[in-house]
Amino acid sequence: MSASAHEFLRSAAEKSADLTHRQIIRKGIDQYNTSAERGRSRFADWEAARQRCHEIKWEAENNLDRYLLEFEQKVKDRGGHVFWAENSEQARQYIADLATQRGVTKIVKSKSMVTEEIHLTPALEKLGIKVVETDLGEYIVQLREETPYHIVTPAMHLTRTQIRELFKDKLGDVDTDDPPQLVAAARRSLRREFFSAEMGISGANFLVADAGMIALTTNEGNARLCTSLPSIHVVLAGIEKIIPRLSDLATLWPVLATTGTGQPITCYSTLAGGPRWKGEVDGPEEFHVILLDNGRTEILADKNEREILHCLRCGACINACPVFRTVGGHTYGTTYMGPIGSVLTPHLRGLNEFQHLSYASSLCGACADVCPVKIDLPRHLLHNRRDAAHQGSRPFVERIGFHIWRWGMQSPARFRFFGWMARTGARLAHSLGLTGTFLDPARAWTKNHAPPPVPEKTFRELWGKQNGAR
Amino acid sequence: MVPEVGLDLVRVLRRIGYDLDFPAEQTCCGQPAFNTGYWDDTRPVAERFVHIFRSAELVVCPSGSCTSMVREFYPELLADTPLADDAAELGHRVFEFSEFLLKVAKVTDVGASFPHRVVVHDSCHGLRELHLKQEPRELLRHVKGLELVEMPYSEDCCGFGGTFSVKFGAISAAMGDAKAGYAESSGAEYITATDPSCLMHIDGILRRRNSKVRTIHLTGILAQSAGSGGRDSASRLAESRR
Amino acid sequence: MAPAENPARERILEKIRTALREPAPRHPSLEGRRIFAPVEGPLDRFQKECAANITECTVTPDLQESAHFIAGALAQLPPGEIFIQDSPMLRRLAPAWQNGREIRWSSEGAPHEASQATITQAEALVALTGSVLVSSSCGGRGATVVAPVHIVVATLDQLVPDLEAVFARLREREIHMRNSYVCLITGSSRTADIEKILVMGAHGPVRLLVVLSRDSN
Repeated sequence: MSASAHEFLRSAAEKSADLTHRQIIRKGIDQYNTSAERGRSRFADWEAARQRCHEIKWEAENNLDRYLLEFEQKVKDRGGHVFWAENSEQARQYIADLATQRGVTKIVKSKSMVTEEIHLTPALEKLGIKVVETDLGEYIVQLREETPYHIVTPAMHLTRTQIRELFKDKLGDVDTDDPPQLVAAARRSLRREFFSAEMGISGANFLVADAGMIALTTNEGNARLCTSLPSIHVVLAGIEKIIPRLSDLATLWPVLATTGTGQPITCYSTLAGGPRWKGEVDGPEEFHVILLDNGRTEILADKNEREILHCLRCGACINACPVFRTVGGHTYGTTYMGPIGSVLTPHLRGLNEFQHLSYASSLCGACADVCPVKIDLPRHLLHNRRDAAHQGSRPFVERIGFHIWRWGMQSPARFRFFGWMARTGARLAHSLGLTGTFLDPARAWTKNHAPPPVPEKTFRELWGKQNGAR
Repeated sequence: MVPEVGLDLVRVLRRIGYDLDFPAEQTCCGQPAFNTGYWDDTRPVAERFVHIFRSAELVVCPSGSCTSMVREFYPELLADTPLADDAAELGHRVFEFSEFLLKVAKVTDVGASFPHRVVVHDSCHGLRELHLKQEPRELLRHVKGLELVEMPYSEDCCGFGGTFSVKFGAISAAMGDAKAGYAESSGAEYITATDPSCLMHIDGILRRRNSKVRTIHLTGILAQSAGSGGRDSASRLAESRR
Repeated sequence: MAPAENPARERILEKIRTALREPAPRHPSLEGRRIFAPVEGPLDRFQKECAANITECTVTPDLQESAHFIAGALAQLPPGEIFIQDSPMLRRLAPAWQNGREIRWSSEGAPHEASQATITQAEALVALTGSVLVSSSCGGRGATVVAPVHIVVATLDQLVPDLEAVFARLREREIHMRNSYVCLITGSSRTADIEKILVMGAHGPVRLLVVLSRDSN
């Protein structure tokens, strides 16, 4: 078992027993569910909306080179720069070099999971640059020196009391747990940063090929300030974020808002295309878009896994997942959590180290039901499991066990024999008082369950008796 | 482990006029190995299943998860084998029990009687792959004396998930515990579902909690008929083991 | 960037081309199904959606009345500079707002951090969502986000039914070709990052006012 798997199990056990934590998450998810349900009902045909989004992303990913090249050209026509990064290191280096060359001392960042993926902030801080998260949830976890708990609502695991303590400690001039006052305190503290930073970094919800613009879906206004006030705007985005046309946003914007937060559309659906033009009042002098591969082309290469790249990063699957609801976002220990994280991480960071995430699911299918682009997430979890087994990285006992299982299942006599062994073993363990103890062969089950009653006769025996042996 | 489920299924189908056979050569649909990623080990077992049921007009199964294994996953598993088409075709002939009653037999009243308060847990495979939500409830609404109640989060997974329950026992138990709590809060005497594996998991947790709620498979309820003292032999069999 | 400076570019493109030799499976199309119900009565719908997303929408008979209404709104704000998009229409209406207020025009530069309010026009209004489409031509990027109060002076002929229509308008008028920045604004800024409780007024404006004149003259 990998080190990550060990840590996952440890944390999962801890969080599964933490009823307070589970209650906080349950409450947050319930609120989301109410909003999302209301949101879906605003569509005349929600299934048609999902299908359209699937089609848009299918077209984008299956013609990826064409649309990326079109996007690149249009960005350049607008006076922007495009840099292609194969991996985290190249992306970090580009941004670090740019910041150093321009004498940047402070950077304001809007929320971007891909910047977490490449661990950008520590690299910039090492150069002595101050990096300020401006999305409120990200700002809060940054002050707590934690990673985001959820890709859309990074601080959903915290109560207002905890945030009060945090702000009292880190901001000094505030001592309240009233949410509007906490938000006002964050606004005051961050406003200075927006107006004094030399560089703003954002992600992109979409890269629009036919316009050479990036699209940002936000509510707070922090991304707008990050992309309007500093003199350099840097965008980091995975290559899969491309969409063919501006008009595709007529469906993608409301769908993303609905599954992300339950809104008809978010407050600010922004299109940023280039530095300020001659004659414009304000805006950055420079615009840089970094297109990141970092394992995405590998996923693209397998036509049966390619749809994983359709993901809009809306978080709906995470909210629907009963495993997430039980263990929370930090247990996963990865940038992307929940169902999409469990599917994606083994691809991006290695099946050997992270296959346990694809196994940590009961395959209930709630995620596939809610995915706005119709990704069959459970099937991809099964594919990862299949690949792990093929690779030979599964535990030896398990491999032998299923070889024996196969042998047993190919003959009714062996099948009956296995059944008899299980029943006899269970009865024996029970009569010797071993059930639930260290010596109980079924301890993995009896640890958490009262032992099941063992039937005297099997179905076959009873059927045979009723209907005469065949 | 739960022979009464099979016997009760047989009882109900015979009562509504169906003639049944149980091919004794059958063993398993292969889901445990498939779900754990051992597709190569699963394939011969699945091929065997396809052969055995090749000549059956209709196949009924008391488990939503096994039914969905055949219908949803056999085509992909057997895609590059000579049985690819047979596997796809079999999917049209295999039915989960409540699905069979409502969509094939087209009956909602099987002459059952079960004067108790019952809550339904929506087993995942049945709900999401076979789209069974109303079917079990329709059948239960026609059971004499039965009071159907609902519980919050009836669609939440119970946490069994096959080897998940053993590999990730703490998470599985927490999910089952939550489900048990909701069942208790509904005031039901019995919790039922279309999947025996869900019920085995929930049952182990309910009894560990010394809960008053008992589990019973859908077939167990529908097999009960008035005039047999409210207890038919299959369920009496289950009771006597406790 | 020149190829020599970004060798990864060709490698990534090559990987993509190789990867795409086979198309991925796709779900069968759902032909002819409408995603949104057609908007009946755009003005009513716009007002209803504004109420839902907490945009203060006021409908006036003409622009003079709009100017008068805005003067009233400004009078309620604390003293301080007002930033206005420098356009012929707003220059014409501005006298109504000069009452002891410092006015900074967008031609003078970006709004100051301490502006009390900004006044801009819009590119379009969308009935389906109660939204306002702005661009960098509307006084710049900061004009529509920096101050605590944002006032939009609009006319009824700018109202379109839904998002398909607003993108059609964008394309027809080449709004995205003439601007480096476009934003569809729906309500004033907000956040639910604390216990999922909705709080109005995060980093953008706390109040968004749309003053909509029936007459465009």
